Amino acid sequence: LPMAVSSRGNAEALVALLVLATLYFVEGGSVGKAAACYGLAVHLKIYPLTYALPIALHLQSRRCGTERAAAAGCGKKAKLTFVRYLWQLVVKVLNRDVLLFGAVAGSVLAALTLTFYRLYGWEFLEHAYLYHLTRRDIRHNFSPYFYMLYLTAESKWSFALGLAAFLPQLLLLLVVSIAFYRDLAFCCFLHTAIFVSFNKVCTSQYFIWYLCLLPLVMPSLKMSWCRGALLLFLWFVGQGLWLAPAYFLEFKGCNTFLLIWLAGLVFLFINSLIIVQIISHYQKEAQVSKKLKQQ
Amino acid sequence: CITLDVQAACRGATVTQELLKEGFHRDLLVRAELGGVGEDSGGCAVAARTRLPAGIYVDPYELASLQQQNLTKAVLTPDVIDVEAPEYLATDLLVLLYMEPDPRCPRCFRATLPVHGRYHRPAEDSEEALVVLKSPEVLICCCDSHPPAECWKPAEVEAPCSGKTDGPCQWYSVTHKPAYEETILQVPVGFRQHSSFVCVVTLLATVLCSSLILAAVCRYGHLS
Repeated sequence: LPMAVSSRGNAEALVALLVLATLYFVEGGSVGKAAACYGLAVHLKIYPLTYALPIALHLQSRRCGTERAAAAGCGKKAKLTFVRYLWQLVVKVLNRDVLLFGAVAGSVLAALTLTFYRLYGWEFLEHAYLYHLTRRDIRHNFSPYFYMLYLTAESKWSFALGLAAFLPQLLLLLVVSIAFYRDLAFCCFLHTAIFVSFNKVCTSQYFIWYLCLLPLVMPSLKMSWCRGALLLFLWFVGQGLWLAPAYFLEFKGCNTFLLIWLAGLVFLFINSLIIVQIISHYQKEAQVSKKLKQQ
Repeated sequence: CITLDVQAACRGATVTQELLKEGFHRDLLVRAELGGVGEDSGGCAVAARTRLPAGIYVDPYELASLQQQNLTKAVLTPDVIDVEAPEYLATDLLVLLYMEPDPRCPRCFRATLPVHGRYHRPAEDSEEALVVLKSPEVLICCCDSHPPAECWKPAEVEAPCSGKTDGPCQWYSVTHKPAYEETILQVPVGFRQHSSFVCVVTLLATVLCSSLILAAVCRYGHLS
């Protein structure tokens, strides 16, 4: 899939490499190098921007893991309410590592943006960034929202529906960031899988964004081969169910909009099921908790 | 460039066009027969000029690739095209399609242009929208000093004459019988009556799926 997609002109393999490098350097403690790779990745494709929150939370938690708990104010004697826990995270996120990461990544991104602006002018800004703000692509794609957005493209409800489509994605990304930031690779994998599955536009090339993180997650998935194979089979079946009516629409001119929409909903359900199964069978958390207790 | 008998070019001149393949991605095949017999003289280029309505477009990147391989040669006006825009946000496109001699007959020319249908507005009572292509006009550009035939009228064409940009080249519009029928592209459209049902079911489905994931995160994640 990466070879096929990259040969179309989208260098997804390069972005995947930079994302993996970012995670590698963060885990290794090289915040500066991680930030540089991250800045470059965001310049190439905007989606890694969603990793900012998990990375920031992870960096502040690493700091808590390496310093004396009392000195860093990381220990907690009583179980906090969710709201107080959130507030504590917000306060602790503004630490040296996070600020360094933000400064380096921001500088790299700004320098690249300025350089390419000088080379290509307004055309660069338009195609790299501004285009995404005004883009309205209502053509058929895997997204469950495609038919809804196509039918309501010119209606007064268009903006409200677009916003309604954005809310589940935003909520899930926030909650996943807070719940799993301690295991950064797993968190980023869930992040991207959710982002892609609930996005207003979804095409095959987006799958590479989370498939490249799957090898990092798989060793800790305590799932039988049978279950894993079944989930993989369901994932392909979901795509097949969509591709069939889409082929008849695009290459035969048959009116299969309803079938494509229904297949999109089924694919969303299958993706959600797979994500739930991965969350419930992931056991690296147990190992991380044990390590923290031993320190 | 081809050579032809300038005096007899318009007798029996006809042009036809048809859309090959099915679905949104088609090939527009344009054929022209300039008619007449006589000695060949001079060197002229033959082209078809057509205005594609907003419901159909040419992918400029695809065209550039084909031109590199010498499979198709055309000039688009405007040359910047939004390939993702629906029909109601797009504009007409003027295409000048250079034609090559057709081996079927001595005065025949043909050219193929890949075209793509755009998404149209959803409809209340129809499964399809119709994109009507008018008959193209046939143009000739001669770079020699032969006088034009009586049925040739000078034409304003902002395009090179077979790559030659210098010398006394002149474009002419050839009077001919237009294509017998209008060429129609049928594009499937969504049903407006489905709007409410689709919106409600889509939002319910996304709420359900996000609730499933949220429940799993709350159960297995560390939220305190």
